[in-house]
Amino acid sequence: MTDQWWLILGLTLGTFSIRLGGYVLGARLPSTGVWTRAFSALPGCLIAALLAVILVQENMSEWIAAAIALAVAMLTRNLPLTMIAGIMAVRVLRVST
Amino acid sequence: MFDMQMESPVATVESLGRLSPWQEFRAGFLDIIPLAFGAAFYGAAFGLLAAQAGMGEMQTSVMGAFVFAGSSQIVGVERLVSGASVIAALMAGLALNPRILLMTASLRDDLKGRPVWQILLGVHLTSDENWALMHATRAKGHAVGYWYLVGGGALLLSVWVAATVFGVSFSKLLPAPRSIGMDFAFTVAFIAILCNLWRGTGDLLPWMVSLGCAGTLALLVPIEAS
Repeated sequence: MTDQWWLILGLTLGTFSIRLGGYVLGARLPSTGVWTRAFSALPGCLIAALLAVILVQENMSEWIAAAIALAVAMLTRNLPLTMIAGIMAVRVLRVST
Repeated sequence: MFDMQMESPVATVESLGRLSPWQEFRAGFLDIIPLAFGAAFYGAAFGLLAAQAGMGEMQTSVMGAFVFAGSSQIVGVERLVSGASVIAALMAGLALNPRILLMTASLRDDLKGRPVWQILLGVHLTSDENWALMHATRAKGHAVGYWYLVGGGALLLSVWVAATVFGVSFSKLLPAPRSIGMDFAFTVAFIAILCNLWRGTGDLLPWMVSLGCAGTLALLVPIEAS
């Protein structure tokens, strides 16, 4: 078997184990008090963390474009519009800086 | 969905209360379309990389359908292209995935009491995009759950596989995502989703701690953005 197939097999088994492992873990945790609050806070925290990791590796153009996208998102609450505004902003800013 | 003026599957049946599984699947499938565009560009970019790694259409489509984790696939194959061993490439790719553990753990109420095949299908189709979108849609007061997630995942997986195969087949004809700003698509999508997840000032502290820790770690330890 080639290297590529080994990588595909390994990533398939590893990733699926993590996905299923989360389910097993979640099913075993108590469904009261602090755990419920933690799980309800999780989506926002995880997305905030993802954004932090992405943005610290970017530059001024991306930070300004992200601020523009944030403003559009807060004003419109519209996902497609926010995406279009952010992508257009980053294209313009990268050319001009 | 994010624009109440738009024809929204959830909004139109909202008055009827809880959606049927099919209506929920359809709503998830349609609502994820803007994010699927982002996935298409990333898929095509992954295809370019896969071509450099000597992978064909068969390997690329099998990988997309069975791994279905874009950042892992990109990092793993990139390592292989740059001459790393299979084990090193595998470790680098898998290192990006522990967050999925938290995501599927948080689905426990949606998966509770479901048949095994639905649990296996649900966890496999869980990705950043449809998981976050499901929570953002809920935060707006719509009662969506398992089938909404699966609907979004089904479209994302189909688009991802099609785009990666397209990328590997036409690797010489495609522009790099960065050159047209498409590398920024998911960043802005996450900003929009985060706005919809905002429940009030009580969210500020946990979000800031999360943002600060992740940002600091990313600065100190060289890791790939996922």
